[in-house]
Amino acid sequence: MTGTHPAGGSLARRTLLKAGAGGLGLAALADLAACSNDSGGSSKSLKMLYFGEQAQATQLQNRLQPQISKLDPGITFEISAINGTDWNDFLAKVLTQIAAGTPPDIISVATEGLQLMASKELAIPLDDYVTKDLDALKEYFADIHPALVESMMYQGHLWELPDSFNAGNMFYSSTLFQRAGVVPPSENWTLQDFETAATKIAKFKGINAFGWVVRLWGSWTSFMYANNANLLEEGKYDGGDWLWSKAYAGDAAAAGRKGGWKWGAPTANSDATVEALNYMIELTKKGLSPSPDVGGGGTLQGLFASNRIGMSIGGGFWAGGLTNAGMKNGSFDVTMFPKWKSQRHLFGAGGYAIFKSSKKKDLAWEVLKLLVKPETFDLVFPGNVTTPGRKSLVTAARYAKTGPKHWSVFYDTLTKHPDTAPIPAPPYYNALATALNQRTTEAISSGNAKAALDGLQSDLEKAAGAG
Amino acid sequence: MTAVTAEVRNTAVKRRRHPAAHGEAGFGFAMIGLAVLFVAVFTAIPIVASLGLSFFSWDVISTPEFVGLENYQRLFNDGPVLKSFGVTLGMAVAIVVLQLTIGLALAVLVNQRRRVWMRTAFRTAFYLPLLASTAAVSIFMGYLFDYKFGGVNYYLGLLGLPNVPWLTSGLGAATTIVLVAVWQQIGFTFVLFVASLMSVPTDVLEAAQIDGAGPLRTLFRIKVPLISPTILFAAVVALINAMQLFDQPYIMTKGGPGTATTTVTISMYQKGFQNLQFGYGSSIAIVLLAVILIITGLQFLAARKLVFYQ
Repeated sequence: MTGTHPAGGSLARRTLLKAGAGGLGLAALADLAACSNDSGGSSKSLKMLYFGEQAQATQLQNRLQPQISKLDPGITFEISAINGTDWNDFLAKVLTQIAAGTPPDIISVATEGLQLMASKELAIPLDDYVTKDLDALKEYFADIHPALVESMMYQGHLWELPDSFNAGNMFYSSTLFQRAGVVPPSENWTLQDFETAATKIAKFKGINAFGWVVRLWGSWTSFMYANNANLLEEGKYDGGDWLWSKAYAGDAAAAGRKGGWKWGAPTANSDATVEALNYMIELTKKGLSPSPDVGGGGTLQGLFASNRIGMSIGGGFWAGGLTNAGMKNGSFDVTMFPKWKSQRHLFGAGGYAIFKSSKKKDLAWEVLKLLVKPETFDLVFPGNVTTPGRKSLVTAARYAKTGPKHWSVFYDTLTKHPDTAPIPAPPYYNALATALNQRTTEAISSGNAKAALDGLQSDLEKAAGAG
Repeated sequence: MTAVTAEVRNTAVKRRRHPAAHGEAGFGFAMIGLAVLFVAVFTAIPIVASLGLSFFSWDVISTPEFVGLENYQRLFNDGPVLKSFGVTLGMAVAIVVLQLTIGLALAVLVNQRRRVWMRTAFRTAFYLPLLASTAAVSIFMGYLFDYKFGGVNYYLGLLGLPNVPWLTSGLGAATTIVLVAVWQQIGFTFVLFVASLMSVPTDVLEAAQIDGAGPLRTLFRIKVPLISPTILFAAVVALINAMQLFDQPYIMTKGGPGTATTTVTISMYQKGFQNLQFGYGSSIAIVLLAVILIITGLQFLAARKLVFYQ
């Protein structure tokens, strides 16, 4: 396992600050930091970090507290929300909080932050806990696709128990498709079908056929995956057999799974990657797609909900999101991402890890198991705002109120397209995301995908070297 | 008044003042002490800490490593970061020039209005944007200047004009951010200039009028020289603010397209908080501080010749 995190983090911070300032004031600050470093919440509390707003976090905390009390009546469950536009924002704030000496016991982290967290050994591998409780967890592993579990592995170890995911499918406005006389797409539609539909929809004034957001998940990167390309060389770490041979024995979907995704040398300016980004530029030039926003996608969702966008990349989170934005069930639907050279999708998964600095790791493990129970899912994610990682939860009943009609696409993406893979999120994810956003907007603005991706290649080489 | 009476009165005054002055001095020192403490805690210590941190390589999590001047060497060889200094300087100059010019023009126009309520109304109107949250203003402006769905392009379309890539082309994004920053900050310079123009002695203006000076000559030969200390103050404050421009470009364009609106503070944030290079980010902050100090120094040097103190 890599990583150079010393056991005495507080001493390191003290040394740094003393060396940096050499003054009395800074020494005092260092002492303060050192004192607070061991906190991790009070001894009577279990602290969890959560990506979202504090009001939601407090509600979740209140919903979960009775169940936590059953595990340990003396423990208060505290959920601190961290708000941000995307995971890049979230991770930056988490790390600042850690630097401030207030690490959590449990953290909810998506694919974007997994390898960063694992490589820095902020969390602990769950291997021993899983092995110890394998009998109790068999039901969990039988219900969750191995691709999601593998995406939570790094260097042969399991770092998180996943509970949710979102694959980059294609949402479309049934209203606009009907108005344009476009037949709703089938699951095996092609890029040509997509463009034909887009051209018909774009004829309406004030309406854009296809909208997207500049980011790593489900951006032009979905086209890149469908074009069998990626930003980094794909590989897998050895190991993981300790899990696959026991938890997934006999499961064909687990065949060939290893110890997690290993992201290698940058390939950002490969021909196929350039071709994918060029395609997006062409869509913009043809008037089929507006210039994209950078960030979380709130604006895009609003535009889609008001029928000003015909199609957009979305995962299960759009079911609840569009409904919350006022779209009626039946006015939108979802299908697979169109086939280009392949129909390979990308996905991002979410789950929970235990922080290395936690003094209540055993209790935290019990809470992790609680968090991935089927009955907990809707407590954590009320309103269909993500795709359940457990297949048994992806049911017609779940989508009866929100839609979409073809909700089964969400999980079918994993089962019908085994080559579906997580987004490339190496330990230097933050630098990658920043560079990707900058180079993408540069490409759209200049119309020169090759030059922008040459720049991205250089950025990633530097980031990989520094990481 | 006799000399004896005067002496008695002076003695009485001295006696009365002495204990009060003592109390005043104590209160004054206490206030100054608070201010010094505030500056030390929130300005001096962070600056010294940043300076110290700039000699380390630190990702928050791992052990900090002393690297000497490596971060500074890296900075002066880092094209995108150096470019962000250029972007910042360019935008800062534009902001300062526009803010001073428009602020002065508006102040002169409003100052012509003799009715007090009109002056108050204009002052309030121009100052209001400054009270709004920069983040909220930036989000709103981001929507307003959206290429495809924004209100500005919608109205341009009604006039038969094509959509303008306000935020999606390099020049357009920089221009829009400058305009938004100027719009929001203009109230500050405007209020300063209005107050300063009101303090210009009327006898001087009347004399100029009698000598046959027109409005423009009066403005540039009388008013501007007389309020030049205020102009210097406004220029220094506006430049320091503009050199630290962050909210508007970060929210409206995330520093893009490409790095067209990536200011130094965005570079610093990206390196430090997003790429976890806190030492490198600190070195950018220290260089920015040095640049601001140098430019401010140059402003004061230039002011020796250009600023007129009565």
